[in-house]
Amino acid sequence: MADGVGLRKLVVYREELVTEAGASPVRPVQQASIAAVVQNPWAGTPPDRDLSVEVARIAPSLAKLLTYRLIEVLGGVDQIEAFGKAAIVGEEGQIEHGGALIHTPYFGNLMREFLEGESIICFADTRADAGQPLVVPLWHKTRAATRSHYQTISTRVSDAPRAREIVVVAAASTGPRPHPRIGDRTTDPAITTKSLETVLS
Amino acid sequence: MKIRKIVTLVEEIHVEGGKDVSPPARVAVVAAVIENPWAGQGFVQDLGPGIDENASDLGALLAPQVLAALGSPAEAYGKAAIVGLDGEIEHGSALIHTLKFGDHFRKAASATTLLPAVEKRGPSGVAFDIPLKHITDATIRSHHQSLEVRIADAPHAGELVVALAAAAQGRPQQRLASLSTEQ
Repeated sequence: MADGVGLRKLVVYREELVTEAGASPVRPVQQASIAAVVQNPWAGTPPDRDLSVEVARIAPSLAKLLTYRLIEVLGGVDQIEAFGKAAIVGEEGQIEHGGALIHTPYFGNLMREFLEGESIICFADTRADAGQPLVVPLWHKTRAATRSHYQTISTRVSDAPRAREIVVVAAASTGPRPHPRIGDRTTDPAITTKSLETVLS
Repeated sequence: MKIRKIVTLVEEIHVEGGKDVSPPARVAVVAAVIENPWAGQGFVQDLGPGIDENASDLGALLAPQVLAALGSPAEAYGKAAIVGLDGEIEHGSALIHTLKFGDHFRKAASATTLLPAVEKRGPSGVAFDIPLKHITDATIRSHHQSLEVRIADAPHAGELVVALAAAAQGRPQQRLASLSTEQ
């Protein structure tokens, strides 16, 4: 699996929340991120360089590697309720290179299919030095507007990305935020600037 | 013991120095974020009761989890206590520098040596390096290594992070001669 994608290292991070604000969460929830440190196949190339050949070669294997590990770490695909993805590009690369690995069907469609989702997968990307953390947003894998599942996980690899590397991340959660209580679209009142005229004046 | 969360980190190195590492080198850490048992009590002279209440339970909680996360027998190991800004480093040391804590790990890993440790005070998100050495002979140089850990929102000022680390092998491209060959 490592062959062909230029994998240097894989970092698995999992958090199991026991209490939040002194109380048990409404449901026991685990969050996890899997980060793959890979060579940037386009490092140093000009901005008009076609990216499609490497995308088709690398992104599917990365999607499989990351999501399979995510499923294993969180106890099965049925456990996973929310998902997200991310890329951190080393300084000799372009954000577009990270986008190439996570924003095409060669990654996203496969990740969604492996995780049995339907939603668009939310994301974060950045260019950064090794060891910089990146906050990865997650939302519900089949009903993206489910507000209770809006959450984030912080991902970081201490010695990556090097200048010519990309850190590609798949992340997921087995449930909602610990104490969700900010309503949902179904319970929201109709809010407009007109209805809040007194507040805004 | 009041636990806020349990964090598991596994690093798997597939390439080091441009050369394949086969099988990939694995190092695992499991950390518990807990309330500092002495938080808000001013200077507590006798830490014994807090040690008795927490150290053994912590060791029993973390030891099987770090070995499970590693997924193979441990050859090197280490530990950490990171103290939130309102605590004393002595509070972290109190919980990890006792046989009540470490013996759970030693027994589970069939280990005999002292667990190397990092103790540090810092804010949430502080990075810390856990030193690891061989589980039965701390002079085996190939197994001297460390792993950097960071938990974005811990320790809070009144918390402690207590962690165990295990490695399935020495450094990925270890190639230093053994200590005994040095003059």
